[in-house]
Amino acid sequence: MSQQTPEIYSVELSGTKDIVKTDKGDGKKYRGLKNNCLERKKKNHKEEFQKELHLDDHKLSNRELEKKYGTDIITGLSSTRAAELLARDGPNSLTPPKQTPEIVKFLKQMVGGFSVLLWVGAFLCWIAFGIEYSSNKSASLNNVYLGSVLVLVVIFTGIFAYYQEAKSTNIMSSFKKMIPQQALVIRDSEKKSIPSEQLVVGDIVEVKGGDQIPADIRVLSSQGCRVDNSSLTGESEPQPRSSEFTHENPLETKNICFYSTTCLEGTITGMVINTGDRTIIGHIASLASGVGNEKTPIAIEIEHFVHIVAGVAVSIGILFFIIAVSMNYRVLDSIIFLIGIIVANVPEGLLATVTVTLSLTAKRMAKKNCLVKNLEAVETLGSTSIICSDKTGTLTQNRMTVAHLWFDNQIFVADTSENHSNQVFDQSSRTWASLSKIITLCNRAEFKPGQENVPIMKKAVIGDASETALLKFSEVILGDVMEIRKRNRKVAEIPFNSTNKFQLSIHETDDPHDKRFLMVMKGAPERILEKCSTIMINGEEHPLDESTAKAFHTAYMELGGLGERVLGFCHLYLPAHEFPETYKFDTDAMNFPTSNLCFVGLLSMIDPPRSTVPDAVTKCRSAGIKVIMVTGDHPITAKAIAKSVGIISANSETVEDIARRLSIAVEQVNKWDAKAAVVTGMELKDMSSEQVDEILANYQEIVFARTSPQQKLIIVEGCQRQDAVVAVTGDGVNDSPALKKADIGVAMGIAGSDAAKNAADMVLLDDNFASIVTGVEEGRLIFDNLKKTIAYTLTKNIAELCPFLIYIIVGLPLPIGTITILFIDLGTDITRYQRAYLEWTGYTAFFVGILVQQIADLIIRKTRRNSVFQQGLFRNKVIWVGIASQIVIGLVLSYGLGSVTALSFTMLRAQYWFVAVPHAILIWVYDEVRKLFIRLYPGSWWDKNMYY
Amino acid sequence: MAALQEKKTCGQRMEEFQHYCWNPDTGQMLGRTLSRWVWISLYYVAFYVVMTGLFALCLYVLMQTVDPYTPDYQDQLRSPGVTLRPDIYGEKGLEIVYNVSDNRTWADLTQTLHTFLAGYSPAAQEDSINCTSEQYFFQESFSAPNHTKFSCKFMADMLQNCSGLADPNFGFEEGKPCFIIKMNRIVKFLPSNGSAPRVDCAFLDQPREFGQPLQVEYYPPNGTFSLHYFPYYGKKAQPHYSNPLVAAKLLNVPWNAEVAIVCKVMAEHVTFDNPHDPYEGKVEFKLKIEK
Repeated sequence: MSQQTPEIYSVELSGTKDIVKTDKGDGKKYRGLKNNCLERKKKNHKEEFQKELHLDDHKLSNRELEKKYGTDIITGLSSTRAAELLARDGPNSLTPPKQTPEIVKFLKQMVGGFSVLLWVGAFLCWIAFGIEYSSNKSASLNNVYLGSVLVLVVIFTGIFAYYQEAKSTNIMSSFKKMIPQQALVIRDSEKKSIPSEQLVVGDIVEVKGGDQIPADIRVLSSQGCRVDNSSLTGESEPQPRSSEFTHENPLETKNICFYSTTCLEGTITGMVINTGDRTIIGHIASLASGVGNEKTPIAIEIEHFVHIVAGVAVSIGILFFIIAVSMNYRVLDSIIFLIGIIVANVPEGLLATVTVTLSLTAKRMAKKNCLVKNLEAVETLGSTSIICSDKTGTLTQNRMTVAHLWFDNQIFVADTSENHSNQVFDQSSRTWASLSKIITLCNRAEFKPGQENVPIMKKAVIGDASETALLKFSEVILGDVMEIRKRNRKVAEIPFNSTNKFQLSIHETDDPHDKRFLMVMKGAPERILEKCSTIMINGEEHPLDESTAKAFHTAYMELGGLGERVLGFCHLYLPAHEFPETYKFDTDAMNFPTSNLCFVGLLSMIDPPRSTVPDAVTKCRSAGIKVIMVTGDHPITAKAIAKSVGIISANSETVEDIARRLSIAVEQVNKWDAKAAVVTGMELKDMSSEQVDEILANYQEIVFARTSPQQKLIIVEGCQRQDAVVAVTGDGVNDSPALKKADIGVAMGIAGSDAAKNAADMVLLDDNFASIVTGVEEGRLIFDNLKKTIAYTLTKNIAELCPFLIYIIVGLPLPIGTITILFIDLGTDITRYQRAYLEWTGYTAFFVGILVQQIADLIIRKTRRNSVFQQGLFRNKVIWVGIASQIVIGLVLSYGLGSVTALSFTMLRAQYWFVAVPHAILIWVYDEVRKLFIRLYPGSWWDKNMYY
Repeated sequence: MAALQEKKTCGQRMEEFQHYCWNPDTGQMLGRTLSRWVWISLYYVAFYVVMTGLFALCLYVLMQTVDPYTPDYQDQLRSPGVTLRPDIYGEKGLEIVYNVSDNRTWADLTQTLHTFLAGYSPAAQEDSINCTSEQYFFQESFSAPNHTKFSCKFMADMLQNCSGLADPNFGFEEGKPCFIIKMNRIVKFLPSNGSAPRVDCAFLDQPREFGQPLQVEYYPPNGTFSLHYFPYYGKKAQPHYSNPLVAAKLLNVPWNAEVAIVCKVMAEHVTFDNPHDPYEGKVEFKLKIEK
């Protein structure tokens, strides 16, 4: 789950054996198990640190800090100084745990698991030859050949597996590089987003909710910041962080944030005081010794399968060894049977095949912008039955665009085209002048520096989607927004948060004669309206009466009904006598009025659905996957988008729709008549889990709107109670509980916060829902392919094994065909050479028989459920190349190398190639019948037992 | 995902395994309930019965297509193998070593010959007929009793001095040993176009230091296999058939030296030049008579 961080989270202190596991993801579980241990360890921990650390930065004042680190809190470090420090201290990253040398990895492939069996087999073969040779100098070389072949198999498989592993390791490590942690840093008085590896001590960084703390930070200022220190201390409670020095102990004090912990909400500005291995977590990591890489779950699963096969092989082998010994075979011969049985049973190529399949899939998915952090996730995604999708960014473009404006009691349409160039609404009104000022000033978004030549709509912006939309909107209409903001210097600000639901800032005006401060505010329209007592119409302030309020509501409902996000804007000029130029605004104490403001207008934005989404939703539907929208957005917006992408299909109605159509009360409608349901967070809050289950089970099309993170979790749990495999998509840190709870968490690569990405199993690099469908397809494919591979491998093994077993029990000569047996039976005297020739004919015929069966097997294994005719024989060209090469190899062995005694192949009579064909057809017919019954009676006994 | 990432202790694993072996909640053993096990076993029993039946059917059909008297293919048997009695194999093929003065060294050899020739006693040949035609004995019909074909008698006494009757020591005692050359039977094989196949023995690397060629006395005279023993119609058609034999009494084998001797069957349709097969159409052996 947390590919990025395992080396940080599993920590072993030197001298103690206990492993303090504070895995971020599964913290709760471990805590449940190891509670006592953890509590005890925590104390030890802190003592250790105090011995180790001489950290007193938390006691210093800002001035002292500036002096100590040679930095400036306002302008930050200079780039040159930062470069010097970077050169001195090295990058801000933890030294990765020591890598296993490549040669060791390679050798491990050669001796691990099955290879040992094969090696032992090979050595036994050679030993057997040695014994035979010592007693009889004319002993045949067969055992030597067999041993050499075994060794070659081991070596080739080893090389292949090593190559594959190296390749997939490369893919995975390139994944790691593809998600760099970014840090927002102030350098040369400019805000820059740089990879957090490049941070140096003295850097002033800004961290917002959802981000990982990029280094050890002394907090300079914070707004409602809480951090999750669970990775460090095991405390699951979010810890508040502010600039006060509250405790002697650096781990207890509030004004230090630690590297790798997560900022859950709020913002912090802080100074980097330690980087890389010198951070607290770095200290723990460097104290740690022998942090082993854990096996991936799918590897464990495969190993489990492999154990079963090996168990079966060895037990059959030993069974027949006992039979052979009791049938008075020589012990040495019996050992050779045993080896033969084991060798025939072991799926030599399976592990390599699996690795190839997985890494190929991961690679293919990466090409389609699906980054798989956890290879197993691919397979899980394939069995997904419910997708709980976030709306914003996933289903939509996550490119908010201003669509409508409402001021002067009128709705204006804005241009939502690609470049915004054609803004035709009336811009002469003085209300617009005020509104545009609020839009410009009450906005924290900024263009990233250094993109003067980029068209406005393509410029990268630091800020969220709506703010970006507003910024670009105003930049297009008004020109240089940054210049306007500079002229109207910001003196105080309260950023948006979900409890206030508004954003406020106070500015000096650009009018040199006007000494008043301008307070501008934007936020949820109803909240904004509550705070207003007047409304601006045509530049005049009018008292807000019933009729204007009604007009507001009509406009709000109309815009909201279009599924658009509506923001209200208001402002207030603070009277100069109460708020002189020197007035100190305190945003925590709120020493300024936030009511009786002047309402200016509404502005609505839409985030248009992605063009690929409707198609993808249809695909999910037809694949039997229920798509549920879970969004924090307004039910109307949610429903509008759901309808436009097909989550609610065109002809389905909700209870409310039916009520409206029939003009009856909602309560009178039989709720099971409706196919779709829109459930809000408010309704969800009052529901019991049975009711949630009822909704999830009975409606095909469900939209959850206005949901909180906890409710997302409730929804996911509800889905899991229906025995569904749930995929959850999300981007915010608030989604991470749901992402973790889900069977597969899918994070958004662009919009996603680091916390979400860390919690997720898969990252969609383009934030596109359609990529999930790709993932599902690939996942189903890989599951199918693995099943097919296993079935194919095992089929071959049984065929290889049969002659051995028959040989031991009935005493027939080793793989010798029935036809040749008949030859001998006819009582013709033959010379030794002629007999050997017949034996080789037997080998070759057996080989060809297996070859023909395997071709049939290959064609059978193309599908698991469908008939070969439904699948089509010629869709997969590679399979025919495979079959052709198989036949060519057979031909070459039989006719080309007829005299190579080591292989014991002979020229085979042409018609012997067709002896196995009726049987090949027979197994194919059997399989078609098997699949037919599976299709005809799904869920029946046959389906359950015969489907593989 | 979370569930799979948990590290399990050994105890937990054992418990899970136990639970897998016997799940008291659902009554499942190894993942299946008893009735399900019975059903699946029944299915597979039926499945394998059908499979075995099919296999048997295939074999039966195959057997129906096979002529019980003549093999379908004899292309690998162009020329008969030839072998020797007594047949003592050393490291590389036939090697016969004995000491004239120590009868224990050749007692086994003569015993082998006696045993071998027991099959050619009057009693053993009772069911065969006397043939004197010296021509191919073609038999289209099954005119012998029990729907078989006649076989010609070959009596040990035809080998005269090498029959073991006159000289039970087969000449081993005097250093002039008898060897019996036997040609393998091939169904419907005709060795020549009219003249009887003849055995010809010689030193392999002649002439070596001995200077003179190997002198051999053949029994029956001329060392021929009479043509009336051919063609052979197979074990089913000729249950009493015995291979004709030629005995070669080697007269001038040098003592205390290992000599390589080759006995070829001279006939138009018998080849002895297959590089892979040293026993096709000829038999090579090493002989060392010590004194």
